[in-house]
Amino acid sequence: MREQAPRVQMRGIHKVYPDGTAALKGVDFHVQTGEIVALLGENGAGKTTLMKVLSGLLRPTRGEIFVDGRPVLFRNPSDALRCGIGMVHQVFTLVPPFTALQNILLGQEGTGALRPLPEASARARVHALLEEVGLEVPLDVPVESLPVGVQQRVEICKTLYRGTSVLILDEPTSALTPVEVDEFFRFLRRLRDRGAAIVLITHKLREVLEVSDRVVVLRQGLVVGELPTSSATAEKLAELMVGQLTALRVHRTPRAPGEPVLSVRGLTVRNDQGRVAVRDLSFDVREGEILGVAGVEGNGQSELVQALTGLRQPESGEVYLEGERVPFVEPLALYRRGLAHVPEDKARFGLALGFDLVENSILGRQREPQFVRRLGRLNRPVILRYAQELVRRFHVVAPDLATPVRSLSGGNQQRLLVGREISKEPRLVVAMHPTRGLDVASTLYIRELLVQMRDAGKAVLLVSADLDEVLELSDRIAVMYAGQFVGLGPADQFRRETVGLLMGGVVPAGDADAARAPSPH
Amino acid sequence: MRTPRALRPLTESLATVALGLVAGGLLIWAFGHSPVAAYRALAVGAFGTREDLLETLAFATPLMLTALTFAVGVRAGLFNIGAEGQMYLGAVGATFVAGMVPMPAGVHLAAATLAGMAAGALWALIPAVLKAWRGAHEVISTIMCNWIALHLSMYLAINFLAEPGRAERTVPALPTARYPVLSEESTLTAVLFVAVGFALVVYAYLWGTRAGYELRLAGENPDAARYAGVRPERVVVLSFVIGGLAAGLAGASQVIGRPPAWSLYATLGNVTTLGFDGIGVALVGRNHPVGGILAAVLFGALAQGGRLMEYEVGVLSELVRALNGIIVFAMAVPELWTLVRRRLAR
Repeated sequence: MREQAPRVQMRGIHKVYPDGTAALKGVDFHVQTGEIVALLGENGAGKTTLMKVLSGLLRPTRGEIFVDGRPVLFRNPSDALRCGIGMVHQVFTLVPPFTALQNILLGQEGTGALRPLPEASARARVHALLEEVGLEVPLDVPVESLPVGVQQRVEICKTLYRGTSVLILDEPTSALTPVEVDEFFRFLRRLRDRGAAIVLITHKLREVLEVSDRVVVLRQGLVVGELPTSSATAEKLAELMVGQLTALRVHRTPRAPGEPVLSVRGLTVRNDQGRVAVRDLSFDVREGEILGVAGVEGNGQSELVQALTGLRQPESGEVYLEGERVPFVEPLALYRRGLAHVPEDKARFGLALGFDLVENSILGRQREPQFVRRLGRLNRPVILRYAQELVRRFHVVAPDLATPVRSLSGGNQQRLLVGREISKEPRLVVAMHPTRGLDVASTLYIRELLVQMRDAGKAVLLVSADLDEVLELSDRIAVMYAGQFVGLGPADQFRRETVGLLMGGVVPAGDADAARAPSPH
Repeated sequence: MRTPRALRPLTESLATVALGLVAGGLLIWAFGHSPVAAYRALAVGAFGTREDLLETLAFATPLMLTALTFAVGVRAGLFNIGAEGQMYLGAVGATFVAGMVPMPAGVHLAAATLAGMAAGALWALIPAVLKAWRGAHEVISTIMCNWIALHLSMYLAINFLAEPGRAERTVPALPTARYPVLSEESTLTAVLFVAVGFALVVYAYLWGTRAGYELRLAGENPDAARYAGVRPERVVVLSFVIGGLAAGLAGASQVIGRPPAWSLYATLGNVTTLGFDGIGVALVGRNHPVGGILAAVLFGALAQGGRLMEYEVGVLSELVRALNGIIVFAMAVPELWTLVRRRLAR
């Protein structure tokens, strides 16, 4: 092999977001012509941030980028495109009512706001490109009527048509069926053999092993491993990806769980796109236990939680709270029966950011008799006292109660929300990503609160993409993959590596007792 | 709970009004007039004498109500621009009861007022139902309803409410159904108190009741509202009905609360554009019922003082309308500024 500068090289990349989060802490990365590099890591490891820097979407706080050995500075994605670097995002950037051809040409050099798209002249070129790389795309159909897998091809074609030779793909297979994935990988190999450099952002071990030439593993903004795929094993990658337990420890004493509080039977839920996201799922959460659901995001956790908390209508199945069947999509009825819900996105579901602390303290509780007087008037004094109590008891730091919660830190927002939910005296706590994005102190505090709930005999369903959190807090653990639990058992039966493998969709051999459920395939 | 923060919208609005006046001054200057002289005439015309002040308030009365229509919509996350049509039907409803249904004094005035409000609310129910159960976008449906209301109201005014022998207007309100005139030198009547009272009631409702809380929650964050068990259809209907009541009252106020006509013109000339003007008033009033009252007084002052500005300085009355527009545009400046700052912070 000749000594040659890599096609793209990144050196010492740091990225600190305006809110102070350090997403990248000095990352070196390179990709060669004619190779597929898998960028592996958990949620929040910095994979997408790194590639957004490479594609000109984000500016690094520090660090250098070289293309063919020359230093470059990308001010925007167009700059990166001129160097042949293009990124296909998880969320597509297509205009739904436009045809595939129109979408491919849109925003192209040589087109302008006032000029019509050169559809006729470009059609032949697009055809040639499709033929060359072996993609099949119906050019004259509005993309909104195409299946997601084909929309993705349009998106890729759009990027390639702009002369991209370094193709970055962010979780490209998350929207694809297994058959589509196989076909997609054949396409990637063909593209590589034609001399493209490909970066595949993923958290799926099987895909890494199947299609990549080299693996780079990121964890918490640092490269923790880099190796040729030929010398990688699923176990080795899982270990690199999830790392060791961090120092955040919560004191937890053994406790015998009691009767089931939440019983789920045969629950099937579809996602917004109409795909089955939760498939025929059955489980119990008992009083005095934390059932932790681990898994990479997008495997049906959101849909599961939304169905259980009255935010989404399931396709079929039954849910029982303390033996009584509960109605679907009636959050208030669920709250009355003892549900507390810490939603996955506090700013979206759990809080009204423009409202002050007082008004947020009764969100979801606004109909409880203690807060309402005659004629439906809010009982201001009682609500005010309750808000003060929340702030004091759960250590919410805020200038005063009339502050809009928008201007609180994430940790304080979450303290207010969790405090509100816990002070309902619930029977069941459903918490999703309860510590995401929080500072260390708040994280520890929220985790302690969850354990306190368990110790007080509540049933806690904890769904988290943070493996440390699940391993540390749970009495029992389930791993969710492709809408099902691929493992469910007492926490002490799960080794960290086992969970890592299960999260990646690999059922470890000889671990069948822990991974009781069958493989999803 | 009174903090400087609660007053920030007020100071921001005042600053943008000042900005709008400066920009308007440039426009006046560009047309060859002295901005200083023009604004002096404007201020004198609007607030110079007791009568001027009362006339300013007479202009402000319907505006604070149509502003309320828009504001309640925005608070519920809706873009209700149907005040215009709801106001027409409010005027028709009030005219009918006030002019054609004799009743004892006292009862009659209340009945005519309520008829106007009810007619406005009923008309608002059409886009409300279309939105809540069919998902029709309220901007489209309210615009369509405005046109239907225009022609329906003219039809009703000409064919059923017309005064015999006077084609240009409807029967006047009977004396028992007229709001007392507060001063012989102006057209202000006691309907002002009803308007202000209604705005304050809506304020108390939105910020002091469970239902008002849920309405504002749905507007602030629809997902959080779902989480809190709020039914979106209920919020849509509720906000449209409140808005329709306000717009209906605005229409009624121009028939049974505004001399000298005490009737509805067949062309609807004494009510047209009041609904649309309310949108701008609501924006300047930060979509707050109390802010709407203050902003309505400002716009009333522009309307009243603009007359003297035209008479004394020769500034075209169109320029006064332009001034209204510039002030509304200036409202976008704070928002624009945050946008620019966010952009630079990337």
